[in-house]
Amino acid sequence: MPNNLPEIIEQVKLSLGAFVPEISLSALFLLVITLDMVLNEKRVVIPMVSLVGFVITGFFTWQQLDMPNQEYFLRMHVVDPFAVFFKFLFLGAGALAVLITMDSEELGEKNVANIGEYYAVLIAMVLGMFLMASASDMLMMFLALELVSISSYILTGYLKHQIKSSEASLKYIIYGAVSSGLMVYGMSLIYGLTGQTNIYEIAKFISANEVDEVTLTLAALLVMGGFGYKIGAVPFHFWSPDVYEGAPTPVTAFLSVGSKAAGFAMLIRFFKVAIPAEPTGELAFDWVNFFALIALVSMLLGNFAAIWQSNVKRMLAYSSIAHAGYLLLGVLVADDLGTQAVMFYLAAYTVMTVGAFYVVILIANKIGSDDVNDYRGLGKRMPLTAAALTVFLVSLTGLPPTVGFIGKYMIFTALLGKGTVFLTLAIIGVLTSAVSLYYYFKIPLNMYLRESEDGAETPMESSAFANALAAFLMILTIGFGLFFTPLANFAKNSVIMLVMN
Amino acid sequence: MTDLLQLPLLLSLTLGERLALMGVVLFVLLTSVAYTVYAERKIAAAIQNRIGPNRVGFDLIPQLGFLKGLAGLGQPIADVLKLLFKEDVVPSASNGFYHLLAPMISLFAALTTIAVVPVAAGLVIADVDIGVLYILAITSLGVYGLTLAGWASNSKYSLLGGLRSSAQMISYEIAMGLSVVSVVVIADSLSMTKIVESQTANPLYWNCFRNFLGFICFVVASFAECNRAPFDLPEAEQELVGGYNTEYGSMKFALFFLAEYANMIVASTVIATLFLGGYQVPFWSDAPWWLQVGAFVTKTLFMMFVFIWVRWTIPRFKYNQLMDLGWRKLLPLALFNLLLIAMGVLIFEA
Amino acid sequence: METVSFILFSFLGALVMVGSIGTVWSRNPVTSALFLVLNFFALGGIYLLLEAQFIAVVQVIVYAGAIMVLFLFTIMLLNLDDEQALKEKFDLQKGFGILLGGVLLVEVLYILGLKINLPQKSTTLTPVEIGEAKNIGRELITNFLFPFEIVSILLLLAVVGAIVLAKKNFSPNT
Repeated sequence: MPNNLPEIIEQVKLSLGAFVPEISLSALFLLVITLDMVLNEKRVVIPMVSLVGFVITGFFTWQQLDMPNQEYFLRMHVVDPFAVFFKFLFLGAGALAVLITMDSEELGEKNVANIGEYYAVLIAMVLGMFLMASASDMLMMFLALELVSISSYILTGYLKHQIKSSEASLKYIIYGAVSSGLMVYGMSLIYGLTGQTNIYEIAKFISANEVDEVTLTLAALLVMGGFGYKIGAVPFHFWSPDVYEGAPTPVTAFLSVGSKAAGFAMLIRFFKVAIPAEPTGELAFDWVNFFALIALVSMLLGNFAAIWQSNVKRMLAYSSIAHAGYLLLGVLVADDLGTQAVMFYLAAYTVMTVGAFYVVILIANKIGSDDVNDYRGLGKRMPLTAAALTVFLVSLTGLPPTVGFIGKYMIFTALLGKGTVFLTLAIIGVLTSAVSLYYYFKIPLNMYLRESEDGAETPMESSAFANALAAFLMILTIGFGLFFTPLANFAKNSVIMLVMN
Repeated sequence: MTDLLQLPLLLSLTLGERLALMGVVLFVLLTSVAYTVYAERKIAAAIQNRIGPNRVGFDLIPQLGFLKGLAGLGQPIADVLKLLFKEDVVPSASNGFYHLLAPMISLFAALTTIAVVPVAAGLVIADVDIGVLYILAITSLGVYGLTLAGWASNSKYSLLGGLRSSAQMISYEIAMGLSVVSVVVIADSLSMTKIVESQTANPLYWNCFRNFLGFICFVVASFAECNRAPFDLPEAEQELVGGYNTEYGSMKFALFFLAEYANMIVASTVIATLFLGGYQVPFWSDAPWWLQVGAFVTKTLFMMFVFIWVRWTIPRFKYNQLMDLGWRKLLPLALFNLLLIAMGVLIFEA
Repeated sequence: METVSFILFSFLGALVMVGSIGTVWSRNPVTSALFLVLNFFALGGIYLLLEAQFIAVVQVIVYAGAIMVLFLFTIMLLNLDDEQALKEKFDLQKGFGILLGGVLLVEVLYILGLKINLPQKSTTLTPVEIGEAKNIGRELITNFLFPFEIVSILLLLAVVGAIVLAKKNFSPNT
């Protein structure tokens, strides 16, 4: 680190150029807070402003594609294709979250008076995710994670007149605080071992010096506590069913895709960079086996526990735990193919999960329930919506011709030819996917093959905008399933991560 | 505290000298509490056009017979003796341990603050580098005494008083801290002695003029921190009987009483140090130490007079007014002042 | 001076432990909170022993002086009595928790027993100078400028969130 002032100022000035998307998001955050104070009619203007802000940020992010892979802000912040890919993902997820919020009755005028802050906090959360994807210093990792976490607590508890929402928020805070604590403890151990907070310096130190393996293992386990909580993998998953159920559905959608993707971005960067394989091919801490274990239990527990759920949001929560398991499979391969698969899968997951939750919102707007048993007969009453939900569920299961199939296919192929352990994991992954078919298809079963109890068959279609959005997501799900090359190529090009310099 | 003494000191008093100084300061502080009460009653009487205490002299001691009835100077001693000989009543439903602990904490916080206040150049019990922060830390602990007293008494009046005091002290601590920061920015140090030195012997350079808004904020906030009128909501007699000390009697009550007045005196010394040039004698930068002590005491007495004066002339706030003043007037004002001072320092020192 | 330091450290360390154990152990929430205050205080003392006086005082101001007062405030407002409901029977979950905690303890003890040569940061400052507010401030706005600014966003967000969640008039008619 430079010690003289002019040099530091020079570096900071230089770094500002690489920070434009984040600055734009911060400005948007402040703008929305201010607008919320001055405007009278907020329900349309603020979401629109947020969307425009996201588009502008997207433009700035796009400009970063050509930037050299480098660390900025005195080695705190990295810009590389890997980060840029995730930034696009977060922007997309954020924009979708804004769109589906506008249509949600749960957060509508009847229930929530002040919606302005909701969008502000959402924007701050996207900012936090940006920072998570770019953090190259443990300090920044912690801060970015906290930024995302605190925003999610607020959003989860936004329906404070509902006990469930407040309860979910409280549970989330308690789990979040504990896991952040564990993570910081782990980070402090790593700092104690290496005397560095920058992950590249840590890697350098670990490969150059002898470090105590048990200590490093413990530290990595503790750090994993923080990451695992964000990605919602077993055994750090306890919060997710309650939070998914209690939070407003748009928030659930955003949490399940955004936080998870951000958690994966940080996890991949941390483990691939900070604790790399030694030249001999050995890892300083064998996180591959460790991840294999987590992935295994996540897939099993997520899928089997989902079978018994009748609340759709809760069911999707368990399915998201299972998906964290699949994604971890891609991480533990620890090569570019696996990372590419994870990135593709996350993009696919974003589209289909947001889609699924959106349809859940639309249905809840009409029937006021998230229970599977209340979905009976909806196939006739809301044909388009029901069809869209079916497509999303097919995709979540991982069946062709949807994007979910391509994602799972890429992950499982990444596992092949690497040894029996990986092969076994891939087989278990396929088998548990088959289990997921059972609970996912409970929903279409109810919608199409069962009559509603009161026998009502009056159509209840949603607004044209809602239908258009659902259709758009549906088309994306199928479209990327058929024409996956552009997205796959983008993921492939984005695997490049700033490694040791 | 041994390691505190290892820290670099501006001037070196030996450990023994420090302990002696501590003894003297504490003795002066504790005795002056009694006579502050007396002064308060006298001044209040003057403001209300009464006479005040004028009977109790030193009649019991024949040799002091000539002091008989002399302006009621014996009153404080009589008061103390009365409190000492009263029965110590502990309410049966109260939590005995905390009931006892609360007044101790109060007095502890009130007395320990004085440790970092320099009474003359180099004459200070502990001249730590972070003197100002130490004061903030200790005052923020004082609130435990009142809060615990309110809770442990198990009475609704006490509880309300305790809650009010903690809310009030937290609210005003922020404005207080921010105005202290402005002083620190000017002095470029957290050490009390350096802050005094930075104000020089020229009264125009004292912080009450250079940092006028900060002075106002700090004085108002310290009134609130001391729970003195017009901020005496925690013990508002008309509504809460005695607030947090309703269930206290005898010596425990005396401890609270002592803490309140000690707080007032200590607050005066801190204001004198931070804003009135501390021990600086006007226009005489190297005055002998006894003159510096004199200047310090004079300034402190003046601030104490202001404390009493305000109490007997201004009516008590309502609770919402109190919160409004703290959060919506004092806090922005202190922030604005900090900005102003920071800009001033940048401009004039560059 | 070495022995004085050692005695002080042992004393403060014991206080920290008593404070933490008392926090968890005591059934009365007020006692719990006060033990935590004791813990923070003793921790501040340990920072002082490390010649980090600024951190020590900030520890007392922030934790003991502000956060715990609010804690106490809340406990008193809720008027929590002795929490008998928390008395649980020994069950599998608890056993698992104890097992995990035990493993963690063993590992931590192992690390403590290692006596690794910790990497030293090269610096021209003496320990006392490092602990000074001035140097901490200088580091914050130079080398750690970026995290410092991010913290400001974090705090703004927290303030917004606190107001949103605490605001009373959340009904649509206001």
